[in-house]
Amino acid sequence: MRGSDAALGAAGCAVFVLLGEAVPRLGLVDEDHFPPACRIAGALGRELSDTAFWSALGDTLTGWALGLAIAVSAGVVAGVVISVVPYLREVTASTIEFLRPIPSVALIPLAVLLYGTELRSVLLLVGYAAFWQVLIQVLYGVRDVDPVAEETARSYGLGGWARVRHVLWPTALPYVMTGVRLAAAVALILAVTAELVIGAPGLGARIAVAQTSQAVPEMYALIVVTGVLGLLINVGTRAVERRALAWHQSVRGEVAV
Amino acid sequence: MLDVQGLHKVYEGSGRRTEAVRDLTFSVAAGELVCLVGPSGCGKTTLLKCVGGLLAPTAGEVRLAGRPVDGPPPGMAFVFQEYGRSLFPWMRVGQNVELPLKQKRLSRQRRRALVADALESVGLADAAGAYPWQLSGGMQQRVAIARALAYEPEVLLMDEPFAAVDAQTRAELEDLVRRLWRERGITILFVTHDIDEAVYLGERVLVLSASPTVVREQLKVDLPDQRDQLHTRVNPRFAELRTRVYEQVQAAKRGR
Ligand SMILES: Nc1ncnc2c1ncn2[C@@H]1O[C@H](COP(=O)(O)OP(=O)(O)OP(=O)(O)O)[C@@H](O)[C@H]1O
Ligand SMILES: [Mg+2]
Repeated sequence: MRGSDAALGAAGCAVFVLLGEAVPRLGLVDEDHFPPACRIAGALGRELSDTAFWSALGDTLTGWALGLAIAVSAGVVAGVVISVVPYLREVTASTIEFLRPIPSVALIPLAVLLYGTELRSVLLLVGYAAFWQVLIQVLYGVRDVDPVAEETARSYGLGGWARVRHVLWPTALPYVMTGVRLAAAVALILAVTAELVIGAPGLGARIAVAQTSQAVPEMYALIVVTGVLGLLINVGTRAVERRALAWHQSVRGEVAV
Repeated sequence: MLDVQGLHKVYEGSGRRTEAVRDLTFSVAAGELVCLVGPSGCGKTTLLKCVGGLLAPTAGEVRLAGRPVDGPPPGMAFVFQEYGRSLFPWMRVGQNVELPLKQKRLSRQRRRALVADALESVGLADAAGAYPWQLSGGMQQRVAIARALAYEPEVLLMDEPFAAVDAQTRAELEDLVRRLWRERGITILFVTHDIDEAVYLGERVLVLSASPTVVREQLKVDLPDQRDQLHTRVNPRFAELRTRVYEQVQAAKRGR
């Protein structure tokens, strides 16, 4: 089953690449704007042997990872505190509902004003977008704590901190993992967007440069790289999720008994 | 050992006011096994949670060894009606049993010994490495009992612990509780809605009335100390006692 799925997926990819080659060659689209697949592949090869490309990739990953790390820690701490402190959830609910839907890109002018094209601009945008993903999941996860589990912990004399650690946190963890996975994807989008629009160093800035200098195949090659990056991030976070939640219903079937 | 004085509990909230327990007064001597029976919804769980310090009574008082209970007391363990939800699915069986011991700050060596001993006495010595959800319902309930035992409580509160297991397992678990009680000299307050179970297990049976709840009758079970499923249940005295309790529970349901 799995093997045939993978084979079908590979076949689909191959057809897509062939189309990308054939359609421009047949003159169905303008070759200057949609170069054939083999020219994109060639450009990709040139990029991979260019040190400037690797440092741009490093910049993007730095912005992504730092922003994500800040957002996840802040989201988890804020989520747990809001849930544990009495009345804090009610007090913060409407503020959260107001701030959350603000698209991170709307903060670009603010970021430029504050930090110019520095890494901190990217971190602000990435952090803001990823923070809400984590916070909302933590808030939902904490609400899922089973009252019987909570009473069990209390009856055995577990104090407040021990209950957060042994009951609340493990209950919320599946939600936290979902939040981190969503946040990781959003963080990549925002990192590239920030670089593209603000000009902070990274893959996004490199795409903008390729576009303005009419290096169309290079531009596509860089877009392919960002796509692959997104794919790897998704696969990676799923793997982490599976390891951390080996006990949980959603992945239980795969645990060796 | 355990004194309940004029216990009164009213649930209030979301526009509804429920008087779960009206006025309960009884006491349990050290090392005694007392069974509580009463119709469904009469406030047995509420009573047990007040005794266990998980709920604050509206009026009245619970005293354990002379001291008033105002939070979960250290020497008390609780086995919940919903045992499946009371075990933590993210911990293996051994870790579930061990967690309360960590809170007691026992040494690692001592904890290991207690966990192994408790699992051994419920017949689950080789299940320590499994997750609770890999076990059957009866096995899960035995893990919950093992966790309470390892805690070395002076008082054990059990809330309809065998309601959800099959008759065979139930008989085994009943004998297990009797044996552990005799071996360890724990004070046990056992809630059930099963009249046979109450008479078979208890030294004394308290029959509660329907809500609003008071103690309707106290019955001493004068059956021999050595009980077993085959002979005790056909003992004429057993039949008399269960008839007596049955009548009381029926009358309680009719509300007289
Ligand atoms: N958290 C709660 N909030 C409001 N009312 C409650 C709550 N818990 C229980 N009650 C009410 O208190 C009464 C007694 O409930 P309780 O759970 O103590 O009964 P019980 O004797 O344990 O029943 P059962 O035999 O079905 O387990 C019921 O009328 C119930 O509706
Ligand atoms: Mg109950």
